[in-house]
Amino acid sequence: MSWKAEIEELHQRRKLAAACGGPEAVARHHKSGKLTVRERIDTLLDARSFREVGKLAGKGSYDKDGNLVKFEPAPYVMGLGRIDGRPIAIGGEDYTIRAGTGFGSDRRKGGQGGFIEDLAYEYRIPLINLVEGTGGTVNTAKRKGYTVVPGYGQDGFERSVDLMGIVPVVSAVMGTTAGGPSARALLCHWSIMIRGQSQIFAAGPPVVERAFGKKLTKEELGGAKISADTAGTIDNVAENEEDCFHQIRRFLSYMPQNVWELPPPGSCDDPADRCEDALADIIPRSNRQPYNMRKLVEMVVDRSSMFEIQPGFGRAVITCLARMGGHVAGVIANNPMFGGIMDYKAARKQAHFIELCDMFNIPLIFFADIPGFMVGQESEANAILREGVRARYVGLQVTVPVFTVIVRKCYGMAGGGVIDRRGLNFKIAWPSAEWGSLPLEGGVKAAYRREIESAPDPAQREKEIENELRQLASPFRTAEAFAIEDIIDPRETRPYLCQFIDALQGRLKTQPGPKFKGGVRP
Amino acid sequence: MSRIEVKSEITGTVWQLQAQPGDRVESGDTLIVIESMKMEIPVITEDGGVVKEILVKEKDPVSEGQVVAILED
Repeated sequence: MSWKAEIEELHQRRKLAAACGGPEAVARHHKSGKLTVRERIDTLLDARSFREVGKLAGKGSYDKDGNLVKFEPAPYVMGLGRIDGRPIAIGGEDYTIRAGTGFGSDRRKGGQGGFIEDLAYEYRIPLINLVEGTGGTVNTAKRKGYTVVPGYGQDGFERSVDLMGIVPVVSAVMGTTAGGPSARALLCHWSIMIRGQSQIFAAGPPVVERAFGKKLTKEELGGAKISADTAGTIDNVAENEEDCFHQIRRFLSYMPQNVWELPPPGSCDDPADRCEDALADIIPRSNRQPYNMRKLVEMVVDRSSMFEIQPGFGRAVITCLARMGGHVAGVIANNPMFGGIMDYKAARKQAHFIELCDMFNIPLIFFADIPGFMVGQESEANAILREGVRARYVGLQVTVPVFTVIVRKCYGMAGGGVIDRRGLNFKIAWPSAEWGSLPLEGGVKAAYRREIESAPDPAQREKEIENELRQLASPFRTAEAFAIEDIIDPRETRPYLCQFIDALQGRLKTQPGPKFKGGVRP
Repeated sequence: MSRIEVKSEITGTVWQLQAQPGDRVESGDTLIVIESMKMEIPVITEDGGVVKEILVKEKDPVSEGQVVAILED
C-alpha cells in the first residue's frame, strides 16, 4: 500500500487524541468520580454511533527532522452521533487537558461559536453541549500580545442565539463552570447539572472572595441548591452522570429535530379511554386544602410519560412534557402544595415553558387551580406584576392550541393566563371548579361595604350576601350560559383530552418553521 | 449530629403547628401549616430527624425562605 506510512501515522495520531490528557490526568479525573468527555459521549449516544470530527486538532511538538514527538489534543471533543436513531450534534470540553480551557486562538474547535454549533445549524439537528470548562484566562493576553474586547472574532454567542429558534439545544453542566462556558450553558432550551458534582457561576469562589471578602465553597456558590432549586438558572438536577444521560435522552424524546418538524409520535399502550376512579375524589371538599397535583397529572397522561422541567424551582407550578395517546403535550399544572399561588418564580417558569412548547409545536394543557398572583410587599418587590404579566403576554403569543381543565380555583389576572384567549378559548371544568375576578371570601366585604355597614346586623348581612353569591358561583350556572365549554366527570378527563389532542395534530402540521414574535415583552 | 434548618417556601402566617420539640419526624412529614392567600400550605421536611426547635407560633407572619424549625439528626 503506497500510503501505508501516512495511514499508520493517522491512526497513531488518533490514538494520541483518544488518550485525552494522559493516563495520570485521566486517573485523577476518574478518582473524582467523573467520566472523561469521551466516555460521556459514548455512554450518552446510541451504541457505536459517534463519528468524531477534528480528532487530529491539537498542538504537536516535532524534532528537528519533523517527527512528531509530543501531542496535546485540543481540549474539546465533538462530532455527530445518534440518540434513539436520530442524528445529534454533540461536543464537550476535555477537563483532563488544561481543565478544558480555550484552545489557542482558534475557537472553531470549541463549543462556543465553533464547528459543532455550525453543524447543528446547517443540518438542522439538535445540539448537546457537555459543559465543563472555566472560560478565558488572562494568559491569552500574553500569547496574543494584546487584550481583546469580549465577543471578539469567532467567539461570540451569535450562533448560539440563532440555534435557539431553530433546533433543540441541551446543556449539561458536568463539573465546575465559570465565565464563557457558564453563559453558553444557559443558551439552550433545557439544561441539567449533577448534584454534588456540578457547579455553575459567573465567577468562582476566589473571585468572589477578592470582591467581597467572603469565603464560599464551590457548592455553596453554585451547586444545585443555588443554581437549580433557588435560581432556576439550570433546569433539572441529576443524581449522577448516568442519570444525567438518561434525562438528556428523555428530554430529546419529546423534541422534534428542528422547528420544521413535529415532535416524534410515541407508541402508546395506555388506552386513551382509561378512566381513573381516584380522580373523582382527589380534590378535597375544603377549597383551602392541598392535594397531590403530580398524582392527578400522572393519572391523566400516558402512563410513565411525565417528565418534569424545573422540578425544584418555582414549585407553585408544575411544568412537564408528557404524552397523550402517544402525542407530545406540554402540561402546566398549579401546585396546591404551594397554594397554587403564582409567585414571581412560578410566573417565570410558566412563561419559559410556554415558549419552549410553542417553539417546538407542542400543544399545551393547563390543569388550573390558581387563587391568583402572590400579594404583599415582598411579592411586589420581586416584580410579581411584571413577571406575571409577562407570563400572560407570552401565553397570548402562542401559535399552538391550548387546552384548559379547571380542576378547582381559577381567579384573577393569574387565572386568565391559563386560558387560550388567542385560539379556541376551549376550557372544561370539574364540578369542584370555582372562578371569578377574586374569591368570594374577602371580596364581599370590599364590594358591599356600604350595604353591610348600614344593615342592622352587619355580620348577618355579610353572610346573606355571601350565600347569595355562592349559589351563583356554581359552575353549572356558568355552563348553562356556555361561559365554560363543558363540565366533565373528572374520570373522563383522559379520554376527553386524548380525543382533542389527537384531533389537533393536523393543525400542528400547518405551522412549521421559526416563530417570529413581535413586540416588546413587558 | 447535624443541624437541619427547615424553611417556609412561601410568605404567609402560621396557621397550625403539627410538630413539637422532641418529636421524631421523617422526610415528607408536615411540621407546620402556613396560611397564604386563604390556602393551607404545609411546611414539609425533606430530612428526617428530631425536632429541636419550632421557631414560630400560631398567627406569626413568615416570609419566603424564613427558617421556621430546626431538626437534629
